[in-house]
Parts: sequence; structure tokens; C-alpha cells
Amino acid sequence: MIDRIKSALSDCGIGLWRINDNTEESAELFFVKKQLDTRRFKDVRKFRVTVFRDVEKEGKALRGFTSVTLLESMSGEQLREELKNAYYAAQFAANPTYELPDPVQSPTIETAGELFEAPLAESAGRMAKALFSADNQSDAFINSAEVFVIRCRRHILSSEGTDVSYTDGKVTGEFVAQCREPEDVEIHNIFTYDMLDTESLIKKVREALSFVRDRARAKRILKSGKYDVVLSGDQAATVLSYYMSRSAAHMIYPGYSTWKAGDAVQGENISGETLDIDLCATEPCSEEGIFMSDLPLIRKGELLAIHGNNRFCRYLGIEPTGQYRMLKCLNGMTPFEELKAGPCLWAVTFSDFQMDAMSGHFGGEIRLAYLIDGDSVTPVTGGSINGSILEAQGNLQFSLERYDSANYSGPYAVRINGVNAAGTEG
Amino acid sequence: MFSNLDNIRPALKALVSALREDYPYASVLAVEDAWRRWSISRQGVNIDASGFGGGSGYVVRVFDGTGCAEYSFNQFSPQRVPEIKAVIAGRLAEQNKALGGIDPLPTPIPPDEPALLREHCEYKLDPRELGDEAIIDKLGSIREKALALDERIMEAQLGMAHRAYRKIFISGNRDLDETYMWTTCSLAMMVARGQELKYAYQGFSNLGGAEVLDQVEGGLESVAKTALDLLDSEPIPPGEYECVCDPDTTGMIVHEAFGHGVEMDMFVKDRALGREYIDKYVASELVTMHDGSTVDEAATMAFDDEGTLTGDTVIIDKGVLKTGMCDALSAARLGVKPTGNGRRESYERKAYTRMTNTYFEAGEHTMDEMISSIKYGFLLQQPSSGMEDPKNWGIQCMVTIAREIKDGKLTGKVFSPIVLTGYVPDLLKSVTMMGRDMELAGGGFCGKGYKEWVKVSDGGPCMKARIRLG
Repeated sequence: MIDRIKSALSDCGIGLWRINDNTEESAELFFVKKQLDTRRFKDVRKFRVTVFRDVEKEGKALRGFTSVTLLESMSGEQLREELKNAYYAAQFAANPTYELPDPVQSPTIETAGELFEAPLAESAGRMAKALFSADNQSDAFINSAEVFVIRCRRHILSSEGTDVSYTDGKVTGEFVAQCREPEDVEIHNIFTYDMLDTESLIKKVREALSFVRDRARAKRILKSGKYDVVLSGDQAATVLSYYMSRSAAHMIYPGYSTWKAGDAVQGENISGETLDIDLCATEPCSEEGIFMSDLPLIRKGELLAIHGNNRFCRYLGIEPTGQYRMLKCLNGMTPFEELKAGPCLWAVTFSDFQMDAMSGHFGGEIRLAYLIDGDSVTPVTGGSINGSILEAQGNLQFSLERYDSANYSGPYAVRINGVNAAGTEG
Repeated sequence: MFSNLDNIRPALKALVSALREDYPYASVLAVEDAWRRWSISRQGVNIDASGFGGGSGYVVRVFDGTGCAEYSFNQFSPQRVPEIKAVIAGRLAEQNKALGGIDPLPTPIPPDEPALLREHCEYKLDPRELGDEAIIDKLGSIREKALALDERIMEAQLGMAHRAYRKIFISGNRDLDETYMWTTCSLAMMVARGQELKYAYQGFSNLGGAEVLDQVEGGLESVAKTALDLLDSEPIPPGEYECVCDPDTTGMIVHEAFGHGVEMDMFVKDRALGREYIDKYVASELVTMHDGSTVDEAATMAFDDEGTLTGDTVIIDKGVLKTGMCDALSAARLGVKPTGNGRRESYERKAYTRMTNTYFEAGEHTMDEMISSIKYGFLLQQPSSGMEDPKNWGIQCMVTIAREIKDGKLTGKVFSPIVLTGYVPDLLKSVTMMGRDMELAGGGFCGKGYKEWVKVSDGGPCMKARIRLG
């Protein structure tokens, strides 16, 4: 198929192009309680072809591109038709010209491990059994669950000479933890691992069942006001994602972010911990064919690097890094027990916790939180928090304990002072 | 358009016949997809034609002795029929072995009543006829007008997206064929307050073609006003207030706060409080809620992704919850009729119960009447996100702007961002006025939890209710 596409590109007179040949196979299991709802399997292969076109407008050199998806079932005529249409469109998507990524070559980088060696169905069965192995109490249980085991083979080629291929895969899914007494409640949980990590899944299920028990006895007694808020797990990761977004070339080039290397991005008055953040490569190269490596992003609150795809990095005059998906925060000096000591609201789960990187606002509706005051710990539910990282970032404190997921490695919890909460009363 | 499916229709029928030799039920959904997105902003001009969701492909459904199973693929030809049959058999055997000890959820095979259907939607202007150049020029000219409105507007983002698709569903007794298209446009403006960027947004949508582009310019003034007003916004003092929801905010409440709670796959899982409220009051008598394809909007379709014909489902009738929406598998498990709400993100994904076009019926008041009836409260505008809580009917919706109302008049003071919380029936029972004009908006996509994005529309009239804001 690659040869057929190259031939069609040549027939259409297209000299600059990139082909992303992606093959994906999956085994997917869906459960209601502990009973099997549906089994699904997938085998798909797609060829995403990006064609570039150079044009000149008012004396300025411009370069446009358009992407199109081709399938093996297409005839030669159909391939040429799709590519011709894309090439025609590319002239109207013209932007200031830039260099394409430098060519790279590599023999296929095969990811090792059980996920890549065992049959998909067997891996899906193992993860499902791990999920339910921790579901062994009658009061709190898994209401429903989904398990996806996915393996991919990616091949990137370009007119500039890039020829790289690698394999990757993941285990992902979700489960709903339910507790019926004293109040019938649930908590929605998602998981993603890049290996058959049955132990982490079991730990996550145990923690979720514990939280849902607490939510069942939580009271709607949160009063409106300002709180010192502790956010943990995925919510801590979401808050820190602000720094990854704001330092991205696609935010800086258009002026949505004014950050530049050397800026004190955490502000000038820092009474809490100064941030140390890295970005981590989760695959050998980006979809544009840029080899990726871990990138130190922030040290002591100072921005070290800008990151992003080829076009926006070229515009900013920096070496393209590829687009990152994982953030690693090196902070954390306070034991969690100490971090949540003193009056605070430890907000554990939300219906949908969000960070708006444009405005710096974060918040969500509370599904479970603990009002902590000395030895008094009261589970509460309902209400919402609404904070601003711009106001809070000078006084962040992080836990010594760590939390890892597919997109985050860092402190389990962060304490943010003076966050507005809308309560369920008052 | 989409003649590929004509060529392989006989092979699809052959595939279903071959599978029915081994399985008591077999069907195939074939999708051919054409998608294009145009955008222009400070990031540049972009045209993408690489596909919506999974793009073109196939999904087979069979029932074996364990229950329901599906196989998604995108390489098909008449010669591959035996191979696909063998792959399905092999994968099922492998999976069943790996699941030893796990019981199946008892699921009757849904009825496969005979149906033959050919359907397509009307449109005025196919974006392919208008052409990429004209579309980019039009978006660019609107953008220039937006930026010229006020020097404090630092960015105007314009976009248009179009999907045309053909779906063929074939089972033992069904042969369904539909070709539809939707087109959406977006207009967003940004203003800066130091490091904080505020943005205002308006979407435009239709069941049809590029004719929707003509509506965008009409939104310039209001989007600019909202963006500039946000420069002076402040956090809202938390509390419960008399509120007027604009039609978009009503739509978000319809969809997020209530609609997800009556998706009946949640009834099967014992995840929806709504199951206990059938034939009970859940809302004010002013509230009547529909979901379905008897209106023309972006989520209108003739049949769903499981081959169930669509229609109009009255969810709430004058405040009383009458029924939910249901996919075919859940309907079989619950012993009810499916409502044509079995939808997939693409052929690559599972079908779940999903909303289509969901809305409250109009009433008899104007927005001005609602505002003038409020001593102290807010006009809520520009919903930004929402999340369902079918189990507990908790609300989490966010809107961008709350405009203060004092003594029946807008004061000009604005608050942002706003989180709506509370208990869904409390909010719906507090509805005291419904607007006379119903609007539907289909610019967005809806997720199930955090994934499975499908095109939906939602809306209603403006609505007066008591809502907890924070």
C-alpha cells in the first residue's frame, strides 16, 4: 500500500508529503456487575497522508498542508482523487513557510513486555479478572466496567527521507464503584497503563471502593466560603497541566501565552514550593517523525523550554520537540498526613474536574471531599470549588507520596490555599 | 455520492448470510464518511480532511452462546467474507477461553423485524461545490470584521466543520440505507486581562450544508459584547438565585442534567435514579422534554447504529417522567421497545444509549418578561461544559457568564466563570416560566463519561428557574 500511495503522490505531482501508517488491534470487554455484557474486537489500518504545497502571495513564501485518510480498499483512481483534492485544498491553507522536520531513520522499535507478546484476548481476560479480584465486599462493589487492550504499529515516512516505525500499546478502561448504604452512590473511575499492570489496577479498585463507601455516608453540609483545598491523584495532575499548556509553542506563537524561556512563570512572590517540572516522552517519536526525549520544563519556578510540533517551534526559532502527553512533577516535600493536617477541604473526587489553561481557572462539582479539622474528619458531598492558579500558584505545597498514571508522575497531592467553594447550604 | 457502498452491498449481504449459518443473529453496519474542517485564527489557516472519528469502515454484530459480540474492521471485499467469518470465530473462541469463570449477562436477542428504508436529508449548498477557497475567504472576512470591532479583541477564531456520511445496515430482515450531512460553524473571540484570557463563543449548526455559514456574521456583535464584558467580570458570591437561562443554557440543563439520567443502558446497570421515577413528577408542569429525529438538526437520522428506526420520544410530559431513551440491547434486557438511540462514536466503537436532538418544548413568555419578574438574580449565558450524574441527579454545569438582574433589570455587572450545582428535580420543579421561542444548537459533541463522542443537538426556550451558583 505504501508503494501505491507513493506512486499516486508522484502521479499527482506532489513533492512534499508525510505518510502515517497506523495499524490498531484491540480486544474490548464490557461488564455489568461481574457479568459479561459485550465482547468486541478491532482490526483497522489507516494511512493518514499529509500533503504540503508551497505558494507565493504578495511576494511572501507560504506553505500549506492538508491531511487525508486513505484505505487499502481504495482503487488507484480513488487514491489519486483524494490526494488531488487534498493538494488543491492545501494552497488555501497557506501559512508562513517553515522547514519540514529533519529526516530520521530507524529500524522498527519493538516495545517489549507481556502486553505485546500475549494474545490480546488473554491480556483482556487477565485485566478483567484483576479488576474483579479486588471486588470482594458486599457493601461496596463494581457496578460496571470496561477494559480495552490495544496494540498499535506505527510507520512514519516522509518525502524528506524519514522512515521510522515502532510499536506501542495500552490498557485502558473505566469502572464505576457503587455503595448502596446509607445512601446509594457511585464514583466513576478511569485507568490507563502502558503495560499489563494488574497490581496498579487492583490498588485503584480498592481505593475507589473505599472512597465510595465514604461518599455513601457523606453529608451535604459544605458551607460556602474560602478553604485551603487539598487535591489528589488525577486532580493534582490536572492543575499542573496548566504549565504544560501555557509553555506549548502553539499557545505562544499566536500570543495566547506570553511565556518565554527564563520567565518566572510561577510569579514573583513564592511562599510555597517552587515548581520543578519535566515533560516525558511516551513514544519514540512524534507523529511528525521527531525523535522525542524527556525535557526539563521548569526549575525553581523558571521556564526552561518551549515545546511543541514542528511548525510552531520553527516559527519561534526553536528546535521542534514533538508534542508531549506526560508531565512529571519533581516537587513534594511534605508527608501527606502533614499536608492535610490543619483545617482544610480534601476534595477526592469530582464529577468532572477541569483546568482552563486560557484563564487559569480550575474547578468542578464535588462528589466526595473530607472536611478536616484536627482529629475531626467529615466526609461531605455536593457543592463545588472554583479557583484560579494565577492567584494560588505562589503558595503550593506538595506531598512526599507519589502518584503515577499514563500522563502524570508526581506528588499524590497538592495543597492550595484560599480557594472559593460554593456549598450546599448557606 | 458514496458509491463504494453500492458496489459492496451484495458482499455485505453475503457476509451476513455466511455468519447466520453459525450464529442465531448477525448484522453489519457499513459507514462511508466524508469530513472536512476549515479554521482560521492567529495560529494560521487550516484545512483538514483526514476523517471524523473512525471514518469509513464496518462493524459486525453476532450473538453466540455467550451473548453479544462485535468485530470492527476497515478492509473489506467480497473475497474477504470467509476470512472475516474465520477471524470472528477465532477471536470469540480465544476470548471465551480467557474469560473462563465469568458469567454472561443474560441478553435476549433483539427482535429483527423486517424493514426496508432509503433516506437522505435535504441541503442547499454542498461545501464541496462552494469550494475550499470560498469557505476560507468567507471565514477570513468575518474574522477581519470581528477584529475591527474593538481593539481589545486580541483574537477571533473562525471555524467550519462538515460531515457527510452514508450508512447501510443489513441484518437477516433489515436493509436500511441513509445519507445525511451536517455542517457547523464556530465564532470565538478572546480578550486578555493580564495572564488571564477570557473568551466568548457562539456556535451555528444545521442538518444540511454550507448555507449555515450565512448565519455567522449575525453573531459578531453579541460575541464581542460578551467577550468585552468578561474583562470586568468577577467571581460570583455562591448562593441560590432566581435565574433566567438563555436557550443554550436551557439546552445544557436538558442534556447534561437530565438527559444522561434517562439513557436506559444506565437503567440496566442500576445507575439511574430516573428508573424509580417513571410516571412521577420530576419537573414543573411547564416542562415537556423530547428526544428524537422529528426535528432537523445535526443529530437527525433515519435509523440508529443498531438498525432501529428513529422517531420522537416524549421523555417528560408536563412534568411527569414518561420514559427514557433506549438502545436495542438495553431494550431487550429491560423488555421494552428500543427508541432508536443506539449510537456509536464510529464503526470502531461500541453502541450505547445516546441522545440525539434533545429539547424542552416552548412556553408562552418572553425573556424580557422573565427578567422583569426577578428582584435579584442572574441571566445565565454561554454554557461551556457539563457532566452527568444519573445515579444521584447531581448537577455540574458550567456557564461562562452570569449577568446581574436587580429589580427586574440587567445592571450591566457580570460574573464569571459560573458553576451550576444542585439536585436536578429541585431545579426542574422550580421552573416558573418558559420562553415562547425554542432554539436547538448542534455545534457540539457529547461524551459518555469521558469518551465516545457523538454529534448531538440540544436546546429549548429561555427558562426561569431557581439555581445554585458558585
